[in-house]
Amino acid sequence: MMMKRILSALMLLAACAGCSTMGVEPWDRDVLAREDMQLIADPLEAATDDHIYFSKEASSGGRRFGGGGCGCN
Amino acid sequence: MVAADAGVIEMSNSSRKNNRSVSATLAAATCALLGTGVPAPVDAQEEPQWDFNTSLLYYGEDGDRVQDASLKSIIRRLFSDDRSVSIGFTVDALTGATPSGAIRQDTAQTFTRPSGNSAYSVPAGDLPLDDTFRDTRVALTANWQQPAGEKGLLSLGMSTSKEYDYFHLGLNANYAHDFNNRNTTLSAGIAMARDSIEAVGGAPTPLSPMLDVGDVSNRSGDQDKDVMDVVLGVSQVISRDLVMQVNYSYSFADGYLNNPYKVLSLVDGETGDTLPRTTPLPPDGGPSGQFLFENRPDERTQHSLYTQAKYNMDGKVLDLSYRYMTDDWEIDSHTVDVRYRWPIGSRSYLEPHVRFYTQSEAEFYRLSLDSSQDLPAFASSDYRLGNFDAVTAGLKYGWKTRNGNDMSLRVEWYTQSGTVPGDQLIGNQAKRDNYPDLNALIVQFSYRFSR
Repeated sequence: MMMKRILSALMLLAACAGCSTMGVEPWDRDVLAREDMQLIADPLEAATDDHIYFSKEASSGGRRFGGGGCGCN
Repeated sequence: MVAADAGVIEMSNSSRKNNRSVSATLAAATCALLGTGVPAPVDAQEEPQWDFNTSLLYYGEDGDRVQDASLKSIIRRLFSDDRSVSIGFTVDALTGATPSGAIRQDTAQTFTRPSGNSAYSVPAGDLPLDDTFRDTRVALTANWQQPAGEKGLLSLGMSTSKEYDYFHLGLNANYAHDFNNRNTTLSAGIAMARDSIEAVGGAPTPLSPMLDVGDVSNRSGDQDKDVMDVVLGVSQVISRDLVMQVNYSYSFADGYLNNPYKVLSLVDGETGDTLPRTTPLPPDGGPSGQFLFENRPDERTQHSLYTQAKYNMDGKVLDLSYRYMTDDWEIDSHTVDVRYRWPIGSRSYLEPHVRFYTQSEAEFYRLSLDSSQDLPAFASSDYRLGNFDAVTAGLKYGWKTRNGNDMSLRVEWYTQSGTVPGDQLIGNQAKRDNYPDLNALIVQFSYRFSR
């Protein structure tokens, strides 16, 4: 049990250490700064899609708040 | 030029006051020599900017079902220091028919309209569609964003929308914090909403029968529901070309979660056919059979896990995401979304898009209600709570205009095809097409410019 806990703690530490070695220096952000590399590149299209799928399916949200605000029939 | 500038910096370090003019003179002289003119002083505060993003959308389902023409606009005002305010505005004009929830029959059927003022009929063999669906929806959003400390970003927002039979009011807040040289961002957000359902003709008593025209004795006033969403996210820059995001979302809805217009057919336990009405049809009309209004639990808790990756491949961008959702209505869903942005020259691009979605049915989903058994506490035949798969396939073409504005046009097809669990089919139902499959065309034109 104890061993398991230590192992999980070690794995978590390793994951965090992994994060801190990932990434790029500020001067290497040319590609990431491009509009087409943003996580939500087209906010209007994203909002439209969220609304369509909220109205037609039983799942919503995920990438941001669940949306809604319609009595969609 | 570089060498001269370096000299200026050294000099200004030794005697700041005097060297201001010297540095300016030196810079001016260098520029004059190179014929480039004196550079304008760089202001720490950038000029305020406006960003206008507008789209026209057509969404149309086949078989005379829902049609939506929508105008959507987001106007963003960017201030200095990363502060911004954005206002969103949407108008939807909706028309068309929507499945009432009743099953097909081999004979013509009649139903009382939701208003209780008249009746409509459906030909033998047809899927019962309520064709009184006509609505205008106006929605407004407002959002304020500002830095919070050196590495934090705070945003506060509100949303409201109004339809003929629905009113929504919501507030939201989100905080994002950068770590690790801005390569890791953790964010937490909360949204609260209160919605009011002002059903046409009044909200029907759950599981009560559809009554004759003019009889609204089973209707009550407005209903409401509260929704709370919490989103926790982490985004991570993996390399110069790859960024990823993982979000966990929790959503809790409490209150009136029924659809006040949906019914279920009460059927014979042997034949599976809708039970006929027991009294003669009055002159003003009424339902030809026995139909009960649906009832859903008054709480719903959803959990979802969303992950997204954006990967640059020599200027082409792959956008891949996956979402898993599970809730206490026993609906599980999986969504995979893939977009590939492919530049054509320096001013335009093509973006193919596919999306796959699948969900299992809610535990109280019923095609119909068996009159030979006790009524369940909860039942709905809303196709959106059923077991179905959906596919979206589309293509977007985007281009930059001569004056640097962005335009795009996308055309997509959305199809849903579902199945009713075999153990729910009674008698004649097994030979009928029970699930209202859906095919829709989505066309969106967007225009974006900044000033």
